[in-house]
Amino acid sequence: MTNPVKIVWRKELRDAIRDKRSVMAAMSYAFFGPLLMAVAFYVMISQLTDPSDVEIDIQGAEHAPALIEHLNSNGIVKREKAWAAGQQPITLEIDASWADDLAMAMPAKVTLTADFSATKQRGDINRIERAIEAYGSQIAYIRLQMRGLDPRVVKPIDLVKHDTATKGSRAAILMGSVLIFILLSVFFSGMNVAIDISAGERERNSLELLLSQPLNAHQLVLGKALAASCFAIFGGVLSVVLIPIIFRFLPLHNIGISLSLDWTMMVLIVLMLVPLALFATSLQLFVSFRAKSFKEAQTYISFLLMLPMLAVFGVEFARLKNPVLYYLPLTGQHQALLDIIKGESLHWLPMGISALATLLVSWLLIRFIGRMLASEKVVFGL
Amino acid sequence: MIEVKDLRKQFGKVTALDGLSFSAPEGQITGLLGPNGAGKTTCLRTIYGLLKPDSGQAFIDGIDAGQQPLEARRNIGIFPDKFGLYERLTAREQVAYFAALHGLAGEAGDQATEAALQRLDMLEIADRRATGFSQGQRMKVALAQAIVHSPKHLILDEPSRGLDVMSTRILRDLLRELRAQGTSILFSSHVMQEVAALCDQVVVVAKGKVAAQGTTQELCELTGETALEEAFVKIIGTDEGIAA
Repeated sequence: MTNPVKIVWRKELRDAIRDKRSVMAAMSYAFFGPLLMAVAFYVMISQLTDPSDVEIDIQGAEHAPALIEHLNSNGIVKREKAWAAGQQPITLEIDASWADDLAMAMPAKVTLTADFSATKQRGDINRIERAIEAYGSQIAYIRLQMRGLDPRVVKPIDLVKHDTATKGSRAAILMGSVLIFILLSVFFSGMNVAIDISAGERERNSLELLLSQPLNAHQLVLGKALAASCFAIFGGVLSVVLIPIIFRFLPLHNIGISLSLDWTMMVLIVLMLVPLALFATSLQLFVSFRAKSFKEAQTYISFLLMLPMLAVFGVEFARLKNPVLYYLPLTGQHQALLDIIKGESLHWLPMGISALATLLVSWLLIRFIGRMLASEKVVFGL
Repeated sequence: MIEVKDLRKQFGKVTALDGLSFSAPEGQITGLLGPNGAGKTTCLRTIYGLLKPDSGQAFIDGIDAGQQPLEARRNIGIFPDKFGLYERLTAREQVAYFAALHGLAGEAGDQATEAALQRLDMLEIADRRATGFSQGQRMKVALAQAIVHSPKHLILDEPSRGLDVMSTRILRDLLRELRAQGTSILFSSHVMQEVAALCDQVVVVAKGKVAAQGTTQELCELTGETALEEAFVKIIGTDEGIAA
């Protein structure tokens, strides 16, 4: 018990646990984050798998009752209500010469007027197009049969489309955001504690006295970093445990994804978060020990939070595939998490190396903060 | 014994310490008296090893604070210029924290903490959290932190600032008691009455150097004044005269 690191760690942890703001900060991210994400996904999924009718303006319906019947049975109906503001009307116009054209076996004209660049209506427009094309081919088949031809002669190739593209990319986005969320949880959860034990200590005027005690500055920083890391890990564990639970209530199977984590995977993820938590808190301590006050530190740290986001999103969107990413702090954990969630085989060596690299960088940061605190310029702002 | 030898410290163009030398022997209360900005706090920070002097040394029982700051700090108790308490910890926990930092853990730590709390007559507030403590109660916690490891040297930076009469009395009684036990006490102040009432030896500091040194009596004789305040003004004034 006489190890100064342990003494500082114990005291800071006790202090932080009594700080309702710190505890709330650590918990709320882990609690409300997945909930918020779940709501967003719920909306996304229900939009994707929307079975409700498409309501459009239909002009000249009286010319082609059979077509209208066909459209109705495919969930495309005449609109009764007015279009909402900002929504482009979709209009289907059936030419008056419809019956004559059909009788003469001439192409009957149907005009579809819509904003084809409106992404929200893309699905609706596609459904209309498909329904009309299907009706067209039905008529074509009947005509061929009546002329004694096998309709298959005009269909030399049977292209079977398995539409996994949209679902696949949606799933990637969903998984990617779950991952980023888990990674960021360690950055968010320890943040308040990190600020309180560094900039807060300075603001309370207790830093100078603490530095005048018989312990090295880096022991002090290490004790503090470990205390804040405990909070970071706590938040990480909470989100790792809560995400699968909350996502169980989402109809993920509707868009063809499953998110199942067995407990060994969860333990593995938490183990990977441990070095990352230390890394996150040392970065935060580094920044907020330089700040004069709690407020100032909060400003700096909110910028600091951009760093992991940029790193992770950058890799995601730039589709970087450099093997170095597996070995670096943060990106290494990100890649390993991707592999875990996708259910791919794990690269143990890179995982170990990135964990060690993360620990090493954190250790160097802590040593550096220690040296910083030995400097009178930083401590007294001289 | 606290010894300061020819300390010099420059902050940019400002000379904070300009060859300051004095000593605070055991069993005595030494007052560091000087106007604001004379270099008192800088001097004390050098003794804790928080500031590195440009030249000169500070010794705690022969240990160079610049070379072995941790060793030096083990032997001193500090009552700082500004003390912040950990609002969410109880008085007892704060004192125990400092005891632990000085290597007093477990049983020994508990005993030392209890003794310090008892000595300052603060057992009643010992298990209350610091939020809501009065200024006097806060001072007691800070004092208990400073003496919990029974240091042979006690350094106080402007201790009586903002204290009420009762707190000041407690502080004085404690200092006299510790002096009787052979502690060397060094305290900085710009309050004349405080210094006159307590100190065995007064070191008058002005512009980073010792302007005069001696007992209250000696200082008065030196300047031909009857009150320390007059003597003080005269010493500082004379010094300024010479410097100009």
